[in-house]
Amino acid sequence: MLILGLESATAQVGCAIGGHEGVLASAHSARSKRHAENLTPAIEFVCHQARVELAEIGCVAVDHGPGLFTGLRVGVASGKAIAQALRVPMIAVSSLDLLAFPVRFSNRRIAAVVDARRSEVFWAFYRQVPGGVQRITEPTVGSPDDLSAELLALPGDTLMVGDGAVRYADQLSDQPGIELAGADLAHPSADSLVQLAHARALREEWVRPDEVELLYLRKPDAEINWSTREGV
Amino acid sequence: MTPTEPHADATTRVLGIETSCDETAAAVVTGGNDVRSSVVSSQVDIHARYGGVVPEIASRAHVDLLTPVIAQALVEAGMADGEVDAVAATNGPGLVGSLLVGVSTAKALALVWGVPFVAVNHLEAHLYATLLEDPSLELPALVLLVSGGHTLLIAMEDHGRYRLLGSTVDDAAGEAFDKVARYLGLGYPGGPAIDRVALDGDPTAIAFPRAMRGDGFDFSFSGLKTSVINHVRKHPEATTADVAASFQEAVVDTLVDKARRAAREMGARSMCLGGGVAANSVLRERFLSACVEDGFHGFLPSRAMCTDNAAMVAAAGWWRLRADGPSPLDTGADPNLRLPLAG
Ligand SMILES: [Zn+2]
Repeated sequence: MLILGLESATAQVGCAIGGHEGVLASAHSARSKRHAENLTPAIEFVCHQARVELAEIGCVAVDHGPGLFTGLRVGVASGKAIAQALRVPMIAVSSLDLLAFPVRFSNRRIAAVVDARRSEVFWAFYRQVPGGVQRITEPTVGSPDDLSAELLALPGDTLMVGDGAVRYADQLSDQPGIELAGADLAHPSADSLVQLAHARALREEWVRPDEVELLYLRKPDAEINWSTREGV
Repeated sequence: MTPTEPHADATTRVLGIETSCDETAAAVVTGGNDVRSSVVSSQVDIHARYGGVVPEIASRAHVDLLTPVIAQALVEAGMADGEVDAVAATNGPGLVGSLLVGVSTAKALALVWGVPFVAVNHLEAHLYATLLEDPSLELPALVLLVSGGHTLLIAMEDHGRYRLLGSTVDDAAGEAFDKVARYLGLGYPGGPAIDRVALDGDPTAIAFPRAMRGDGFDFSFSGLKTSVINHVRKHPEATTADVAASFQEAVVDTLVDKARRAAREMGARSMCLGGGVAANSVLRERFLSACVEDGFHGFLPSRAMCTDNAAMVAAAGWWRLRADGPSPLDTGADPNLRLPLAG
């Protein structure tokens, strides 16, 4: 089965097509912040490069967060539209899972850290398992200091990956036993998305387009203010 | 294609998508004027507790609502997916995060179906709401476009040819209704709330100022809002119904007065209303009688066509497609997009 993967959770936007043969073609643009402008032409380009018609796609995979809200929505809205039009299922993968996947051969604990802006980061911890990684904590949002304190309390070494880890490297990696993965791995990639989604597709772990939910981890500002006002 | 081969004809079926503010909408319109379906899912209840539209909440709701709304629009139009000939979406002006949901969805659908994508200006779409319901409307027409975000007097000279005659220098008319309604404790949205309460009030009870009435075609409503607040403070005995009715009278007076003068000056053949505030019952009544008095062909779109919907987006998209062809797939959203003006 061919899978179309759309990745737009961070400042990078990307698209990949692949299946049991691995990734057939992919395209990414970092630093663009123009997700909506770039994504549709990228899909067209990648299909062409892979010599694949969109009608051949059997599943649409998206990164459902956590990440930058507007970017995420561009990817998820596009993915839902394509899946609905093709009448194919979807697979939603977390940005943090996608960051941990390329460093799966590390025997250290992995901390996937996404820049959440407003002086906060999203993160989760992973450990190595045969064939990949396994998430050992729930995705969380907090300050780099919160994450730093958590890291300090844990035994053993940690490998940090993600644009949040890069941005707050000074704060986060000044403890012994904590190392930062290369900046080339700082953004989740559409290639990883297609690979992870393919493994799930084999187990038929997919959902309908209307069942895909974004992982915001943060309430809209108005809702936060409202709860404070009502004391709930 | 050459200009002699138009990109759209009477059989072209356009799927329209509208997500610029707090309505998630999709519609199918054939040939630019035959509305096959029009589905609107309003988020007004979601935003009511905050007294206004919260952009992040609106964007989140659009992502959840849009796909089912499109599916429903296609089913109601009796169409299979592959039968759409073009996909049009509002790309501005509006809330950028909300616009991007609609634009991304529309471009993705256009790509899958292999049909043109058309970016539509929301204000132009409002102009087409009128033509959808009254295709015989004679041009040039004077259009008074009043909503929560806009107060515009537009000379529509031909399809795609507009002149901006006047706009608000501060608050939009709909914004004034919302703010005054909030102050009077009437809830949100303010337009329908004031309309309802004013029925029991005397519109001549309080003489609120008609700002900038004499000069030009620009509007100002923030002074009026302040006068209402000052009046209520000084006269706590004034009934809410009288205040609401007198406030509404001042807004309607200014709007209708400038619209008819603008219509005369531009040599319009017709006058029409558009935008959410065009659902106001007093404005509708007074606008129509002004048309009759001055001998203009007057037209009021139905209430459903005044508020944001996707049928008007599909109709405007059909005309844009016919005139200019498809929009590129790297089109983004522009929250401050202006009406393409000529002359
Ligand atoms: Zn509108």
